[in-house]
Amino acid sequence: MIHNFLVWLQNSLGKGPSDTAQSWSEALLGSLNFWGLLDGTHLIALMLFAGAILVVDLRLLGVTFRRTPVSVVSDAILPLTVFGFLLVVITGMGLFFARPLFYYHNIWFRLKMIMVALALLNILIFHSRIQKSQGAWDTEALPPGRVRAAAAVSLAAWLVVISFGRLIAYDWFECGKPQPAFINWAAECATSENGAVPLAAPSAATPEAGQPK
Amino acid sequence: MNLEQLFPHARPWVENLVNVWPTPYVKPQFAWWEILHVVALITLGGTSIVMNLRLIGLGLTQEPPSEILRSLKLWQTVGIVGIVVTGVLIGMANAERLYDSAAFIVKMLALVGGVVLTYGASRPVAKADGVVSTAARVWFVVGMAFWLAALWVFAVSDLISPGVFHIISAAALIVLVAVKGRARLVYLGVLIPMVVLQFLWTHLLVKPHDYARLNPVNITFAWLFSAWIVGTALVQLFRAGRGTEGGPLTKIIGYAAILVWVTAAAAGRWIAFA
Repeated sequence: MIHNFLVWLQNSLGKGPSDTAQSWSEALLGSLNFWGLLDGTHLIALMLFAGAILVVDLRLLGVTFRRTPVSVVSDAILPLTVFGFLLVVITGMGLFFARPLFYYHNIWFRLKMIMVALALLNILIFHSRIQKSQGAWDTEALPPGRVRAAAAVSLAAWLVVISFGRLIAYDWFECGKPQPAFINWAAECATSENGAVPLAAPSAATPEAGQPK
Repeated sequence: MNLEQLFPHARPWVENLVNVWPTPYVKPQFAWWEILHVVALITLGGTSIVMNLRLIGLGLTQEPPSEILRSLKLWQTVGIVGIVVTGVLIGMANAERLYDSAAFIVKMLALVGGVVLTYGASRPVAKADGVVSTAARVWFVVGMAFWLAALWVFAVSDLISPGVFHIISAAALIVLVAVKGRARLVYLGVLIPMVVLQFLWTHLLVKPHDYARLNPVNITFAWLFSAWIVGTALVQLFRAGRGTEGGPLTKIIGYAAILVWVTAAAAGRWIAFA
């Protein structure tokens, strides 16, 4: 069902009656400047968002701003994090809209979304449980172990999100290439445009692997 | 403008870089070096934004700039060393593409400008809690020269010129946060209609794929946006005058030391497009 919705999103939404008409998704992908601006803004927004999270997490780990209360650092930097996150999400949705089927069947994109969910869950747990006792450790140079653990999980999760995001550009596990059954299953390659090709039956024409797009 | 035009005889040397140590070891792990490059960029971005926003008078205002520098200087250096080391390795493995790229020139000019502005101006000013020494003024002028050169190449090079809108947008957002009260309304009251006008002009009056006509319109708007944003920032800076933590020049250094890294990051991404 999701696949069919994305096919409509990519090929039909906004498409006019003429033979040469493009859908909005195709127009965005083929746009002279806008797609580049969207992609560049995604990276710059990531610098702001992940960079701001890094500074707060380093404080929670007791590595930086050891003389400054955690609340002072987090309260001052939170607006940057929130704004950066909104910008990352909006530009990310724009990039997804330009190639929905490619992203939907991309194993790295799927892993990235799972890691984003886990990272957001970690933030939720931090705010709902760990932060409740902040008054007790707010001014401590080295916060308690569970606070540092949450910060370490946060840093690791966003690092993996960024890594998977960069790997989306690589076609190592693209549907249509001979690959393990697990990858074909995890990326739902059977329903993709290129289909699922098991390792045992290599295709005659496979594109060169290992280079970014 | 690209390196091939500047140094046409260097092509054989550039083509051979792929065989020079350590490139044969880097190329198979190209993706992982790219990831490290992005992580270094984020480390640099976060630390530079927090430190230089403080020079502008925003963000972590409960601590003096010197305390913020003390806490972040190591991580900022890790970010800068990280982007240089991973950048050199990625560049050697991808040398022919960079040799023909105008965006690469922009990135290199912005990188030099960023290093000069960060180590020569921004950090010494933060260390002195906003006081701008003569040496910091000199390094500021040198760093600005590199950064303005980067912006000029970005703006006049075919196919990558739209990338200047990244820097204009970032500057617009910082100024939006920096200006207060009625000045903010006036600022937005002009900026928003300009954005709408540019959109209508480049989608209704000029077809989005008519590059020959589109480019001059975008360049004109880039100048208009820049004039309005820089003008608003300067009026706000000089009206505020000299505070306890520096005057207008302190804040200008803060703006420049953020935007120069935005320029380097944006140019790096536009290498992939043209």
